[in-house]
Amino acid sequence: MDSEEPIVFAIDDDASMREALSRLFRSIGMRAGIFSSAEEFLEFKRPDVPAALVLDVRLPGLSGLELQRQLNGTGIPIIYITGHGDIPMSVEAMKAGAVEFLTKPFRDQVLLEAISAAIKRDRENRKEWAEIAECRARYDLLTQREREVLKHVVEGLLNKQIAAKLGTSEFTVKIHRKGVMQKMKAGSVPELVRMAQKLDLPSLKH
Amino acid sequence: MLYFTSSGKPVWGQVFSSYFIAVVAVWLAVLVTLCLGSALKDKVTLFFCAVMVSSWYGGLWPGLLTAFLSWLALDYYFIAPFYSLDVNTQELPDMLAFIGTALFISWLNSDQRKVKSSLRQARDELDAKVRERTADLVRANLQVQSEIAERRAAEEGLLQAQNELARIARITTMGELAASIAHELNQPLGSIVVNGDACLRWLAGVSPNLEEARQAVEAIIRDGTRASDVLVRTRKLVRSGKGTRERLDINSVVQEVIAWSNDKLERSGVSLRLKLQDDPPPVTVDRVQLQQVILNLVMNAIEAMLEVSESSRVLWIHTEKQVLDDLLVQVADSGPGIDPKHSSRIFEPFYTTKANGIGMGLTISRSIIEAHGGRLWVAKTQHGSTFCFTLPIDRKLGRG
Repeated sequence: MDSEEPIVFAIDDDASMREALSRLFRSIGMRAGIFSSAEEFLEFKRPDVPAALVLDVRLPGLSGLELQRQLNGTGIPIIYITGHGDIPMSVEAMKAGAVEFLTKPFRDQVLLEAISAAIKRDRENRKEWAEIAECRARYDLLTQREREVLKHVVEGLLNKQIAAKLGTSEFTVKIHRKGVMQKMKAGSVPELVRMAQKLDLPSLKH
Repeated sequence: MLYFTSSGKPVWGQVFSSYFIAVVAVWLAVLVTLCLGSALKDKVTLFFCAVMVSSWYGGLWPGLLTAFLSWLALDYYFIAPFYSLDVNTQELPDMLAFIGTALFISWLNSDQRKVKSSLRQARDELDAKVRERTADLVRANLQVQSEIAERRAAEEGLLQAQNELARIARITTMGELAASIAHELNQPLGSIVVNGDACLRWLAGVSPNLEEARQAVEAIIRDGTRASDVLVRTRKLVRSGKGTRERLDINSVVQEVIAWSNDKLERSGVSLRLKLQDDPPPVTVDRVQLQQVILNLVMNAIEAMLEVSESSRVLWIHTEKQVLDDLLVQVADSGPGIDPKHSSRIFEPFYTTKANGIGMGLTISRSIIEAHGGRLWVAKTQHGSTFCFTLPIDRKLGRG
C-alpha cells in the first residue's frame, strides 16, 4: 500500500460551508485544501498523493460538472455535494464517474465514508497507473521487431507461426522472444499478456 | 276687483265681505259725522277715509260703491236742503270735486293694491320655485353622494381584487422558485449539520478541544440565523400585506431578485449580464412589489429563451439614471422576441401566450409601476425582447 498521506480537496462557494468542512477535516486530522471556485482549484499545484475532491455542483464561473470534465484525465475521484437534489444532474455526475452525490444537509459519517472510498479508489488508480507507467517504460525499450513478436505471442501464436508471419526463421523468433521476456520482466506468457492488456496496445484490439 | 284662488275660482266670501265693509264704512262715517255735529267743520273727511278703507281692502269696485254711497249720504244728511237728495247748484262743484277725489283715491288705492298683490304673488312664486330648486339640488346631491360612495366601494373592491391577484401571481412565481428556496435553505442547513458533527468530534475523546467546539457552535448559530433570514424573505414575498414604501437603492432590489432566480437561470443555461448604474439615486418604492415586477420580467425572459438553443441564452439587466428625473430599468433577453400580433395585447388582463399562464403578470407589473409614478413598456428591438420601466427619483433628500 501507498504510505503517502492522502489529502482531501473541497470546493464550495459558500464561505460558511467551507469553514464547516475545514473544521470537520481538522477534527479528524485529515489534510485538506479548501477552495471557493473551480478556477482557484485548477491554479493550485496539487501534491502527488492520493486525493479526493468534494465538489459543490453549483459554483460561480466554471460549474462542478464542467470542472469534472476537465479533470477526467487526472482521475481524481469526485464526491458531489449540492443544495438541491436535482436527479438529472446527479445522474450525469455519476455517469461521468463521481464516487457519490450527497444532498445538503448530510451527516459527516456519510461524507467521510465517501471520502475514504474515494481515496481508496485513487490509491488503486495511482497504483495501476504506476504499473502502467512501468510497463510503458519497459515496452519503450523493445525494438520494432521485438514489439511485433510480443504482439503475436500475446495473440497466442506459436513460434513457427510467428516466423511464418514475419518471414524469418523460428530460431530468430526464439531469440526475439527471449529479449521481450527479459526487457518486459515477464516470468511467464500469461504475465506478459496482462502487461499487454495494461498497455492497451491498439494492435491487440479486435 | 274679484278674488281668485290659485285654481281660478272667485272667493265669494271675500267678495261679499269687501262690499259689506264698503257699506259699513259709509254707515260709520255718517254716524260719526252726525254725532260730532258742528264740532267737525269739514263733513267730507271721514267719507274720504271710508273710500280709502274700502278701496284698500276691497279694491276698485267696493271703492267706487263707497264713493257713490258717500255721495248719497253727504247729499242727504249734510248738504242743504238736508234730508233730501236734491242738490243745491251752489254745492254742485264741491260735490263733483268730492266724487272726483273719491274716484281718484279708489283707483289709486286699488292700483296700489294690485301692484302689491302681484308683487306678493311674484314673491310667492319665486319662493316656491326656490323651494323646488332647493329640493332638486338636495336630491341631486344625495344622488351624487351615493354615486361617490358606490364608486369608492367599487374602487376598494378593485384594489382588493388587484392585491389578491398580485399575491396569487407572486405565489405562482414562488412555485417556480421552490427549488431555489430549497437550495437557499439547504445551504445553511448543510453547514449546520457539518459543524454539528465536527463539534461532536472535537468534544469526544480524552482531551476535548473546547475552543474548536465553541467556534463550531458559533458557526451553527450564524447559519441558523441565515436560514431564518431565507424564510423571512420568502414570507415577505408571499404575504399579502399592505405595501410600505421605503427609500431604496434599485440595484439592491435587482440583486435580491437575481439571488432568487440564480438557480433557475443556471438550470436553464442562461448567462446573465448585468450593467448597473454606479451609485444610483434612491427611489421610494414598495420593495416586495418591485421585486415582484423584476422577478416577473426575469421569469418571462427565461421562459421565452427556452425556445432558443442553450448556447445563445443571455439575459441582460440594466439600471440607468435618465437625463430626466427617472431611473430606467431594462430586462432584455435573447429569446425569439414578441410576435407583433401579441405585442399590443400583452399588457391586457388574462392575455397570455403561455400554456399554463394566468395572463396577469404584466398587467399587475404595469399597475404596480404606474402606482409608483413610473411607466412600463416593451421596447422595439431587432432581436429578443426588451422590457423597460422607469421610476421617479426621490429628490426630497436626493443625492443627485
